[in-house]
Amino acid sequence: MKIAVCIKQVVTRDWPLRAAESAKWVRDDDASFEMNEPDAYALEEALRLKERHGGEVVVCSAGPSRVSQVIREALARGADRAVHVASDALSTAGADTVASALAGAMRDESFDLVLTGLQSDDQGFGQTGVVLAERLGLPHATIIMEVDVAADGGSLRVKRELESGWFQWLSLPLPALLTIQSGINQLRYATLRGIMAAKRKEIRTVPMENAEARGQRILELYVPEKASATRFIDGPAPEAARELVRLLREEARVL
Amino acid sequence: MILVIAEQRDGALNPATWETLAAAQQMDAPVTVAVLGAGVQGPAGELAAADVAEVLAVEHDALEPYTPDGFSGALAQVLEQTGPELVLFPHTYQTRDYAPALAARLGRMLIPDCIGSKDRDGRRVFVRPMFQGKFVADVLPEGSAPHFASFQVGAYRADACRRAAAPAAVRAVAVEVDAAAIRQRPEAPFREAKQAVDLTQAERIVAVGRGIKGQEHLPLAQDLARALDAELAASRPICDSGWLPMDRQIGSSGQTVAPKLYLAVGISGAIQHLVGMKGARTIVAVNKDADAPIFEVADYGIVGDLFEVAPAIVAALEGS
Amino acid sequence: MERETLDVDVLVVGGGPAGLAAAYRLARLNEERGGEPLMVAVLEKARAAGAHLLSGAVLDPSALSELMPDWKDRGAPLDVPVRDDRIYFLTARRALPFPVTPPPLRNHGHHVVSLNRVVKWLGEQVEAAGVDVFTGFSGTELLYEGDRVVGVRTGDRGIDRHGERKSAFEPGVDIRARVTVLADGVRGNLTKTLIGRFDLDAGRSPQSYAIGIKELWDVDPGRLAAGSVIHTMGHPLRFEEFGGGFIYALPAGRLAVGFVAGLDYRDPLFDPHVAFQRFKRHPLVANLLAGGQMVRYGAKALPEGGWHAIPRCHVDGALIVGDAAGFLNSMRLKGIHLAMRSGMHAADVAFGAVRANDVSARRLSEYARLVEEGPIRRELYPVRNVHQSFAGGLLPGLLFSGMSLLTGGWWFRDPMPSHAGHERTRRIEQYYRGAPPEPPGVPIDRALTFDRLTNVHYSGTRHDEDQPSHLLVADTDICRTRCIEEYRNPCTRFCPANVYEIVDADAGEGKRLQINASNCVHCKTCDIMDPYQIIDWVPPEGGGGPSYEGM
Repeated sequence: MKIAVCIKQVVTRDWPLRAAESAKWVRDDDASFEMNEPDAYALEEALRLKERHGGEVVVCSAGPSRVSQVIREALARGADRAVHVASDALSTAGADTVASALAGAMRDESFDLVLTGLQSDDQGFGQTGVVLAERLGLPHATIIMEVDVAADGGSLRVKRELESGWFQWLSLPLPALLTIQSGINQLRYATLRGIMAAKRKEIRTVPMENAEARGQRILELYVPEKASATRFIDGPAPEAARELVRLLREEARVL
Repeated sequence: MILVIAEQRDGALNPATWETLAAAQQMDAPVTVAVLGAGVQGPAGELAAADVAEVLAVEHDALEPYTPDGFSGALAQVLEQTGPELVLFPHTYQTRDYAPALAARLGRMLIPDCIGSKDRDGRRVFVRPMFQGKFVADVLPEGSAPHFASFQVGAYRADACRRAAAPAAVRAVAVEVDAAAIRQRPEAPFREAKQAVDLTQAERIVAVGRGIKGQEHLPLAQDLARALDAELAASRPICDSGWLPMDRQIGSSGQTVAPKLYLAVGISGAIQHLVGMKGARTIVAVNKDADAPIFEVADYGIVGDLFEVAPAIVAALEGS
Repeated sequence: MERETLDVDVLVVGGGPAGLAAAYRLARLNEERGGEPLMVAVLEKARAAGAHLLSGAVLDPSALSELMPDWKDRGAPLDVPVRDDRIYFLTARRALPFPVTPPPLRNHGHHVVSLNRVVKWLGEQVEAAGVDVFTGFSGTELLYEGDRVVGVRTGDRGIDRHGERKSAFEPGVDIRARVTVLADGVRGNLTKTLIGRFDLDAGRSPQSYAIGIKELWDVDPGRLAAGSVIHTMGHPLRFEEFGGGFIYALPAGRLAVGFVAGLDYRDPLFDPHVAFQRFKRHPLVANLLAGGQMVRYGAKALPEGGWHAIPRCHVDGALIVGDAAGFLNSMRLKGIHLAMRSGMHAADVAFGAVRANDVSARRLSEYARLVEEGPIRRELYPVRNVHQSFAGGLLPGLLFSGMSLLTGGWWFRDPMPSHAGHERTRRIEQYYRGAPPEPPGVPIDRALTFDRLTNVHYSGTRHDEDQPSHLLVADTDICRTRCIEEYRNPCTRFCPANVYEIVDADAGEGKRLQINASNCVHCKTCDIMDPYQIIDWVPPEGGGGPSYEGM
């Protein structure tokens, strides 16, 4: 099975971020970057599928040259080769632009299965995968917990998470695209041998087809402000507690 | 015209639909609501109670059960027939599954997970969290209508949805859906206990910190969580000490959550904890130190001894 | 358990300036000398090269220029030449400028840099030169054949906090090397065991250390011109304490603000983190930082012992370089160029030794000769007694430092006697002779001053939480019985990352030590300064630790 995994490089989780001068993006010129965590689970799932069914895992990433760091990490963990859609314009691009860039580079590869993470830790659009499926003309399913490949290799049966503890199995024909729920597997470590082997693996760099962003524009990025001052509730514990419960019911309406 | 897409399963409306209607009603345009499925007369009738121009009932056997292929195909036709400027969804798992594909098919992009919308220099912008809630962004839809946006569950109040004196008209909209062209074959949904605690989905969380002093006092917090129908969580020192498992940890080395209610007891509010819960809608802090940083993010605060206050809250909840 | 092994010719442990200079030099030698190239690998515990490095920093480019004459063309991030040097003596409210900057502190021709960025760049050069740089792997033990070092074992990964294997468990790898170059930094965990095993410090002065605490700030770009260098002495330290502050201006309004305090203070209640906060509240500093924003925090120990404290740096199969060996000029406050220089010497020697198929200590002693006869001794020997002279306090230290410029560093007792820093800390009753006064606290406003925990957040520190503590305290009973009485648990003060806390014991009786290991910024201060020497810092799972981007 020829599996593609789309990974994104994002600013490290918990990096103390500030808005950039332009207020359109964060100041990330000296930030530390890492593989988007949800994508790491997609990569792990792809590697496990390859171990079960054979084939190859191709890691695909769209972004500026710095994303080679996460591409190499993915190769070190066991991906076979990589496709890098390279453009500085992709560093702040939205899901639509990224999906179009990936689709352009992936179309001719004719993958059997494309996996992406659920969403990115930076923009959090949660739609690159779905839009990519649309662009590639593939059926898709999202928030996937388990992947079974049919014996004939022609279709999948996958477990999808619904809300509030509900789940659902569904089948779809291959080729297909799945977005993988985070935490469904234990991530493997990159090994020394993996790191050495990664150096010899192919990274195909392709230019981006059309760079113009469309659909939406960030006018301003800012730190959310608390709506109102803290309301302190005084008095002896029983009274304060009663007042709190009243406020939660009648004012905040969260009970 | 603003078109709100309602969500239903087995004839029951997802309550988030009312929230999205409330969001739509706050914008200056007539609101129409559409509900898709097979046998949607029930939910359509319910929706007619809202102050909307019209309810569109989009009926087709192939729309039951939900599939992304079926829904994007059908909705594309509805949009073509009705020509809305804005299409709004509740940001549910189902919306996330198909709305991006629908928007992409029409050459647009969904603005997802919005927590608000406002007028900015005469233009309608959508406010959405970014970088895991550390920032919010004012996002302007570009290009020609229709534009697409989804609203985070809980961002608006369902009861803020205006009702009309007389029910709105329900109009059937015919769509063609080729069942054979739907590539996903769903099976019946089922319930299952989660293996891991997923606090990110919890509506209410009671979080306990070092102020609890010892493991033997944990039942205090457990009682409080039970009385509030909340999940129990903790700051790092509690999980570090092994008093609660690590999957209950909130903060930079644990989970990042945004529940409707976050009740922090005995948590001082180190920045490592705050980054994991600041996005909660309503934050209540109980701490004996009035200068604790947790009060800087709290909506309601009680300065007091948690060993008195927590049981009192339980009593107040149970007494009424 | 079956372990993978990997064979290389030269293994460099530690991807800092010394280690990477060694690796780069080896790659160059491979190219220049021809023949079968030596296989060279670098092991680095941080997720990325440079992520665990902390320095001021003002870089003397002399060693870099020799290592890589074309560093400018290769885009070395040495963006700002020093334009202006100032030294102040601080009183509580005032800043008295020194009329002239003493020659050792003159920085003409040097560069204000982010060492993190320089080393990240150097790492890229090293990789491009064909060296394997394995980041995210810690070296946990040295491998021996008899008394010859034959490589390093990397840490097991995927062990939970109870010591059990997790499903992703990955055993450590034995990397076998003809020559192992230990560049594991100040108080390096492998160097520490090597020195212990072979008494490499026999007859040497004990190493002394300082802790450097630093923040990066973004301020109004007009505040201080890029390339400005400010050093301070005095407040908030007393005459008996060694140390001082620094402010270096980077481009675009970014300031590196830091404080160095000798880890040989007598007052058991001294708190370096509080001293740093008090330094920032001094008008000279507070005015520069007003309205600005703290964007990064970090801390690291530095070796201050100088020439007399450098151990023997060669054994069968291994060499010690950089801060691990103590190549730092405490008078010039500089060690990066010496670290790189020592790495280059080690590379030259290791290359020859592997080619000659002789990695004996005798052959490797060539390294000691290069250090003795080269620029390292030329720089360190004349200032060999400077740090020790401050043991008597600031004024005698200054006097001596000034005089040593005339005498070439000679003193009536040479080497000047010195003690390990932790031995100088007095017990509470010795120091205070009665109830100690309230130590000088500092108001925390989370604008100019910060508590430790908030600061740690800005160090980007992250460890897998589910792993055993990497801070081994041999006997925690001492903490709650003796130390609490004798020293009032100085670990809670000298640790700049809130790793150590004394909390109420679970049963509600007495106190106990709580170790927040995942806060650790790998500064090594606890390993150095604990008065009972019962704390052993060992590497956590590879990849864990601070993330000092831009520092």
